[in-house]
Amino acid sequence: MTGRDEPVIRLERVTKEYRVGEETVRALRGVDLRIEANELLAIMGPSGSGKSTLMNILGCLDVPSSGRYLLEGRDVAGLSASQLARVRGDRIGFVFQTFELLPRQTALRNVELPLIYSDARARRARAAEALRRVGLADRMEHRPSQMSGGQRQRVAVARALVHDPSLLLADEPTGNLDSRTGEQILDLFAELHAQGQTIVIVTHEPDVAARCRRVVRVRDGRIESDDADAEPTWEPARAPVSASPLSHREERPCPW
Amino acid sequence: MSLVRNVPIAMEQLWTSKPKSLLTMVGMVIAVASTITVVSVVLGFSRYVAVFLKGWGTNAVWVAPERPAGDAGRTLGRAEIDVRDVESVRERCEALRLVSPDPRQAAVSVRYGRDEVSAPLEGVSVEYHAIRKFEVDVGRPLAVADVDQAHQVCLVGRDVLRKLNVDEGLVGQSLLLDGRRFLVVGLLKEKGSLIGTSQDDVVLVPYTMALKMYPSQRRKLAFVAMAASEEQVPEARAQITDLLRRRHGLEAHQPNDFSIRTQDEILEAFNAISLAATAMLAGIVGISLLVSGIGIMNMMLVSVSERTREIGLRKAVGAGRRDILAQFLAEAVTLSMLGGGIGVALGFGLCALASLHPKMVDVVVPWWAVALGFGISAGTGTLFGMLPAVKAALLNPIDALRHE
Repeated sequence: MTGRDEPVIRLERVTKEYRVGEETVRALRGVDLRIEANELLAIMGPSGSGKSTLMNILGCLDVPSSGRYLLEGRDVAGLSASQLARVRGDRIGFVFQTFELLPRQTALRNVELPLIYSDARARRARAAEALRRVGLADRMEHRPSQMSGGQRQRVAVARALVHDPSLLLADEPTGNLDSRTGEQILDLFAELHAQGQTIVIVTHEPDVAARCRRVVRVRDGRIESDDADAEPTWEPARAPVSASPLSHREERPCPW
Repeated sequence: MSLVRNVPIAMEQLWTSKPKSLLTMVGMVIAVASTITVVSVVLGFSRYVAVFLKGWGTNAVWVAPERPAGDAGRTLGRAEIDVRDVESVRERCEALRLVSPDPRQAAVSVRYGRDEVSAPLEGVSVEYHAIRKFEVDVGRPLAVADVDQAHQVCLVGRDVLRKLNVDEGLVGQSLLLDGRRFLVVGLLKEKGSLIGTSQDDVVLVPYTMALKMYPSQRRKLAFVAMAASEEQVPEARAQITDLLRRRHGLEAHQPNDFSIRTQDEILEAFNAISLAATAMLAGIVGISLLVSGIGIMNMMLVSVSERTREIGLRKAVGAGRRDILAQFLAEAVTLSMLGGGIGVALGFGLCALASLHPKMVDVVVPWWAVALGFGISAGTGTLFGMLPAVKAALLNPIDALRHE
């Protein structure tokens, strides 16, 4: 089982190459990254920096061309597509810039979705609980079209949380929101972080990055700077572990 | 597992886009409904024809003088059969049980009182009743004495009765056949008709009497025989052929100067026609299924491309390839099977409607046509739903989420 001092994520010399026609694009050129449990971390970088590729690999949507990716101490670099799907369904929660809710389904049904694919029990109750955590207890039967942008993104966050993921991965979560609503979503992330959730936000907005304890800057497929290196004494925020739903993490069987 | 959790998702999707789902189903509904209707009607006709042909006599063999076509026929002498030939067949052919001469007149005038109609006339022996299964439900059948002494008596079919517009009181009365007075001794039981040919439009008289009225048929005598059993039909046929050829002095190289047909041959000919018709209809049904399958495939392909982002999201939150495949395949199969189900119901309705027509044969939907309807609709759905479902399953989640 995962050791207590094992980081949630460890990337070792991860590279990613694509073939575009005749050319080989080297999107990542050897990335080393450790993300401890209960960090709130921002990944920044201009477009074409490899930021999106890094996010896709972190989210197990893609596999590295070389190098190792240890998610909770287990290598996921060589997994098949269906194994990766199970890892995503069990350990990763995604929040997208454009929410990606199913338009004809209620908030509750949208939040339930990840649980359907992992054949979880008590789906309704868990989805309702996740909606309560994001402050939408009174909007469960609403459809996305009946909600504001901020509420939709809250539903998306609830969906990312519902299966109690190791990593909540947010891709420009405030990109489609006005600044006030964006602030509220960031407040929500801060709250979840305080409850013990590990969160990675991919963004190009300095305002958003400023709310994070640690910022990783990516350029030309390499990590340009990392606050964790600058502050080696950095300590993760101590969460009240007993109050956290993460406390039963150890009991869950490995999905792959 | 992936079926259990993805079928409800598929149902939900179909339910939320009802008009599109219904329109997609229409093709399948029509294909299956027409399959069931056509199969049932063709079968109904086949059964009816089989029963009708059996009515012409089980194990019956028809023989008639006939000059073969071509040079071989021209070099032949007279193509004749007479009463002595028939008597010889009766005595010598052991595979036969019953024999009756059958001189025919296609149209004779039938006068009763002031009414005059036209009807076909057959001259027969007593055995003819048994060969052709002509039962008598009023009066009596022909008697041996009638034939031996060429009595002027006749039996009348129900159609003739209808044409004369008289009731069963005709029995015991007399009527004029081509000017000769005949006593009506009995009425034949109704046997039914097929495509305009009625077995009830007939007047039977002793063949001895018929030959007196139409002496030219003495040398051109057709006859009907009945084999002792179904297995003996080919043997009976061979015996008759052999005997007639010897009696007519035909040499080995010469063709028969008569025609000989068995009921099986007629049934076989009909079966061949009905098989050809079924095959052609099956082709049409196949095309309609193809069209409806392509309709479903088209709808599913559009659906996959419309819902690319949804597929990407489902994959991001943990749906595997099998989940997506199962979801889209379940949609296609459900659509086609629902269409198939409605088609089966509609097929039953159409068959019931067809049966209402008074001249229509009994149409019974066979259970295997229902199974076939469901089977082919499910098969078509699977076949044509596979490509879109595989396409959806193989989508890369990253690209799918970026899809506009």
